[in-house]
Parts: sequence; structure tokens; C-alpha cells
Amino acid sequence: MPQDDRKRRFELLALPHLDAAYNLARWLAGNPADAEDIVQDAYLRAYRYLDSFNGGEFRVWLLSIVRNSFLDWVRENRSARLLFQAEPPAETDETLWGHPPRDPEAMLLDSIDSQTLERLMLRLPLEYREVLLLREVEDLSYKEIAAITATPTGTVMSRLSRARLALRKSWLDTHKMEVPHGL
Amino acid sequence: MACNRTRTIPAMLADGALRQPRRFLAERHVGGCPDCAAALEALQAARTMLRTKLPFHRAPPNLASRIGAALPREAPPVPLRRWFPTQALGGGLVGALAGIALTFVVLHAPSRTDPVVQDVIDSHVRSLLAEHLMDVPTSDQHTVKPWLSARLDVSPPVRDLAELGFPLLGGRLDYVDGHKSAAVVYRHAKHIINLFAWAATGAAAGADTGFSETAHQGFNVVTWRRDGIAYHAVSDLEADQLAAFARLVSGGN
Repeated sequence: MPQDDRKRRFELLALPHLDAAYNLARWLAGNPADAEDIVQDAYLRAYRYLDSFNGGEFRVWLLSIVRNSFLDWVRENRSARLLFQAEPPAETDETLWGHPPRDPEAMLLDSIDSQTLERLMLRLPLEYREVLLLREVEDLSYKEIAAITATPTGTVMSRLSRARLALRKSWLDTHKMEVPHGL
Repeated sequence: MACNRTRTIPAMLADGALRQPRRFLAERHVGGCPDCAAALEALQAARTMLRTKLPFHRAPPNLASRIGAALPREAPPVPLRRWFPTQALGGGLVGALAGIALTFVVLHAPSRTDPVVQDVIDSHVRSLLAEHLMDVPTSDQHTVKPWLSARLDVSPPVRDLAELGFPLLGGRLDYVDGHKSAAVVYRHAKHIINLFAWAATGAAAGADTGFSETAHQGFNVVTWRRDGIAYHAVSDLEADQLAAFARLVSGGN
């Protein structure tokens, strides 16, 4: 049966990326139930449009569909304003990168626990969270992230840079607040 | 190479976005610039933190079966909407072609894919999924070739094409379309290429052929025959790059 064959092929291609798809949906939507719905919707779409996949990395194609499913889910379920937060002004503060207290910083990174990090990530604007996940966790290139997010490569680079600064700033702030209690 | 306040050099180094010779220049710069060196270190520390401490949410165990159960109820494909930027052609033309292709598929189902092509794609996917990509994982062509020759009735050429962007990863024995086959594994960027080679059979087995390209289910396949050996190169690499690989590996130009 050609339909069975098609289904089997789709499963071979798509199921290895289920964790990556779910992780992205989970971080974008913020909760497990919606993430499952988004991923299921994305997989059905991917199956339907399998013939329009024109080579390249399947994971990249699939993640772009997960993102589309997420955007549709937002449009159906929430105010669009939530999504398109204006990006905060670019931080060009030299001291953020330039002259770090290096040893304390390494200790600081070590001292951050998963819960704190998750909280800091969820507080970031959606675009920042997304670009950090795709780059640092999924290990995708600028070009691949540009394809997934339908954004020019230059924008991906500057957004990534601002996302990194924002995350770093937030953990430095957390640290400043927590240290007095620790000493 | 001069740096600037936004520290793009360490970021591009950390993100693997520079090719030679720019990477060399960037590394040399960072080696002599304490600020950039510190920034690179901070980027790498942050990445390690995200990879080790940020919770990775694995899909719940029932999700795959839930999706699987929903699939057969889906109607056959009707790709009228583009989900992904198409690379080579204008969208309208692609849409039109996809429409024609689809009509063809619908009218002529089941598809006319060569069963051998189907078989090599299956083997390719299996090799990636089963993590049994290689029996001899070495980039040394002088190890791979005798290993394969000792186990097969053909001795396919094995070349390390690392300098041309296709490093040799190793080789394994496979079984394709009723043949014992050599599978020589190469890589290009993040794409794995399986090159299958077996003794050609049939009336025209001894005749060399040109390169014939097929695309099926997201994979590209290049087929040719030379010196009595049938070759199939399979990858998710883009078609023109795979065609270039086929020409390189076969020693032609």
C-alpha cells in the first residue's frame, strides 16, 4: 500500500526528531499539554506536506513547522500582543562582555541551578528564548535558524547577541540579589 | 583582524560561523586580545551551562503513538501552501510544479520509484537510525579498502576527500537489493553520505554509464556504473553537491 509506505517513511524521517520538536514546543508554549498539541499538529502538517520537503536537514524543516504550529496556536488561543513583544534596546554596554571578574563568573555559572536557569529563560522575550534554544541546545547554524524563524541571517546574529546579553544580565542580577544572603 | 565593542569575532568563533582562512585570522586575533578571549570564554561557559543545566523536555512516551494513530486519517498530501522557503526556484513556479507532480502521483499511485533506489534509501536511513553506520570507523582509506575487499567480490575505490570537503568516515558491509554491498561513509558538513557499491549484474553490467540523479522522500540519490561496479550515493545533501561528490569519488571530473 503506498499510503503505508508513505507513513513508514515519514516515521523514519520524523520520529527521531520528536524530542527536539517537543522540547522547542515546550519552551515556546511553556506547558506540557499545549506542547503536545502543538507537536501533534506540526507532525500532521509535516506528513501532509512531506512532498514539499526539498532535501536538506529534516530537523530544520520540521522545527520550522513546529514554530508555525506554535504561532497558529498562539493566534487561536491568546492575544497576539503576547507574542510580538518589542525587542528591548540593544545593550552595547562594554562592561557586560569586556571586563568580567573571570573567576567569580565561572563560580557563578557553576552555582546556578536548573530551576533558576529555567525561570530566567522563561522570563526572556520569546524571540530570545527561541534563538538561544536553537543555537545553544539544538546546535543549529545561523543559516538554519534563519530558515526556521523566517528571519535574515544578520537579524539572527544580532538577536542572538542580545539574547545572550539579556540572559547574562539576568543571572548577574540574580546573583547580586542572592549573594548577601549567602554570605 | 580588528575587533569592535559588540564582540562579533568571539561570537562567530563560538558559533562555528567562520571558515578558513577567516577562522584562522579570528583565532589569532583572540589569542592576542584579552577582551575577546574573555568574551569567548564567557560564551563557552554559558553554552555549557545551558547544555548541562537547562531542562531538556523529552517527548512524553505516548506522544509518538498518539501521532502515529492520527496519521492514517490524514488525507493524502495537498501541498498548496509553502511551509519552507524553497531554495532554487520562485515560489509560484515551484507551486505549479508541485501541483503537476502531485497530480502525477495521484494518478499514477503507487509511485514509480525504482525499487533499488528505495532499497538504498532504506539502508541509508537504517544506518543512521540504528547507529550502525560503520564497521570500520576510520578515515584511513588504506584500512577501509582492504577490509571491504576481503569481504566482497568487488573492490570499490575508497578515497579520502577531506581536502575537498568530503572526509571519509569509514565503511561497513550492507545488504541491498539482494546483493552484498560495500557501504563507504563520507560526511559533508553535517550530512552523512552513504556510497553503496556492488558488482553490477545483467547484460550491460560491463558498460559504464553516466550519472543519473533521483530525489525521493527528501533524499537525493546519484547512480552510476563504472568498471563493472554499480554505485549509489545517498544523502540528504543538496542534489548538486551530491552530484559533485559522485564525480569526485568516481575519479572523474
